[in-house]
Amino acid sequence: MTTCIQAKNVGLTFRPKNREPVTALNDFSLEVGQGEFVSIVGPSGCGKSTFLNILLGLIKPDTGLMQLNGARITGPGQDRAMVFQEFGLLPWRTVLANVELGLELKGVEFSIRRHRATELINMAGLAGFENHYPHELSGGMKQRVGLARALATDPEVLLMDEPFAALDAQTRDLMQAELLQVWDRTKKTVIFVTHSIEEAAYLSDRVVIMSARPGRIKQIIKVQLPRPRDYEMRLSPEFNDLKSRIWDVLKEELIDKK
Amino acid sequence: MKVKEYYEEHQRALLGLSSFIFLAAAWELLLTYVVPLNPFFFTKPSLIAIAFKEQALGGNLWHNLAISSRAFIWGFSFSVVIGIPLGAVMGWRRRVEYALDPFLTALYASPLVAIAPLLIVVFGVGLLGKAVLVFLLAVFPFIFNTFAGVKSADPLLINVVRSFGGKERDLYLKVILPSTLPYIAAGTRLAIGRGLVGIIVGEFYAASEGIGFAISQAGDTYRLPEMFVGIIVLSLVAVLLTEVMRKLEITLAPWRAGEEIR
Ligand SMILES: Nc1ncnc2c1ncn2[C@@H]1O[C@H](COP(=O)(O)OP(=O)(O)OP(=O)(O)O)[C@@H](O)[C@H]1O
Ligand SMILES: [Mg+2]
Repeated sequence: MTTCIQAKNVGLTFRPKNREPVTALNDFSLEVGQGEFVSIVGPSGCGKSTFLNILLGLIKPDTGLMQLNGARITGPGQDRAMVFQEFGLLPWRTVLANVELGLELKGVEFSIRRHRATELINMAGLAGFENHYPHELSGGMKQRVGLARALATDPEVLLMDEPFAALDAQTRDLMQAELLQVWDRTKKTVIFVTHSIEEAAYLSDRVVIMSARPGRIKQIIKVQLPRPRDYEMRLSPEFNDLKSRIWDVLKEELIDKK
Repeated sequence: MKVKEYYEEHQRALLGLSSFIFLAAAWELLLTYVVPLNPFFFTKPSLIAIAFKEQALGGNLWHNLAISSRAFIWGFSFSVVIGIPLGAVMGWRRRVEYALDPFLTALYASPLVAIAPLLIVVFGVGLLGKAVLVFLLAVFPFIFNTFAGVKSADPLLINVVRSFGGKERDLYLKVILPSTLPYIAAGTRLAIGRGLVGIIVGEFYAASEGIGFAISQAGDTYRLPEMFVGIIVLSLVAVLLTEVMRKLEITLAPWRAGEEIR
């Protein structure tokens, strides 16, 4: 498998004014292959979002190297898109206009982007809400708009920051299945941050477990379940076994800090 | 059923109107049956109505209104053209903020009408003096509200647009401008009120025409009904402008239509 993303000894310390500096990432190294689906789990505040933001090109690391397809990441690019943890929808734009944002910035012609955005809105189960404003949507719907927006530009790398956290259990299952299909069809490289061990195990090729802050990689667990995955797989003993292996590693981090 | 529906649809206007009518009626009745009317110190709606009719038909009402409006429009336009860009630059460039803020805050906080006589001496009693006074009073809400609006732009949304490849220009147009619009609208409503004060004060000090002049002259000569005509015209203008602003806000910022904007 060719390497897509390479993080080498990445370190980053936030230095807010009049506050103690916070080391969010320390000596963080990870390689992700092209088309691979990697989940990241870890205690709250361990630097997961920070890692995604560096990958996205919004923040520069203090130390280390972050590469995409062999080239150092110097800023945002259309080869990557993020589903933001706090949605990040523009309140003055309708659902449709929000989904179109990336295409618009890419300079895609109006009729094409409208067509594409409508397609994704339907996929995300938001048909009929094209002309609603974000404040008229539920949390789960906002998250789906964020997902549709990220998929609209058809990025090579999809960064997802707890994209399903605000969804109810049923919608969540549906969106997971939908995501796996999209991923299978488009062969995107996906980095998926979640707090749900079950979700990480079900979706991923590998699960990265981070230590508490300053975040570094504690262990990487390879998921051996066959693809395509289906819902029934979650009931198998292998799946439960996998979940408890992840939990055992993660548990130490959660308890240590208390 | 029909009546109830009509009421619910126009509740706001109907309640506003009926409280207005009630007050006017109470005033009229009070001065007709309870308090003896001394025309030097009191007046009542019916007398004001008569004076209004006279002023509108044969008097100087429209001329005065035109004179005052001209000064208002000039001063107000300049406050928009200067205040909004200045506030935007202050919000976006920290150094400009630090350089100008103390000076502007001091001016905003001080009662500028106190220097009206000075302005009149420097700029004359005509259009220019009054327009300058309106400008000075109205420009601050534009500066400070635009400034606050730019500052309020959500860093997350700026990052979102950047992450999708947005350049600096896109940040202005797609995030900062829309977040600032509601602030500017609120500033405009403040500025209208302050600008009207500017006109009236300017015309109180020295003028030979204008609504403010008419009010002060009528007051000086104990012609109360005429004085009230000026005051009422003034409040009508204020209400009208504010109402136009409200409509404009709803058109410009439909995403906030759900919230009641005042
Ligand atoms: N802009 C910032 N300025 C200062 N500190 C920050 C900033 N962003 C994040 N941090 C700090 O860096 C640490 C890591 O934050 P990050 O958002 O990456 O955590 P996370 O792993 O995504 O947590 P969660 O699971 O709760 O989303 C936190 O302790 C946070 O307080
Ligand atoms: Mg996070």
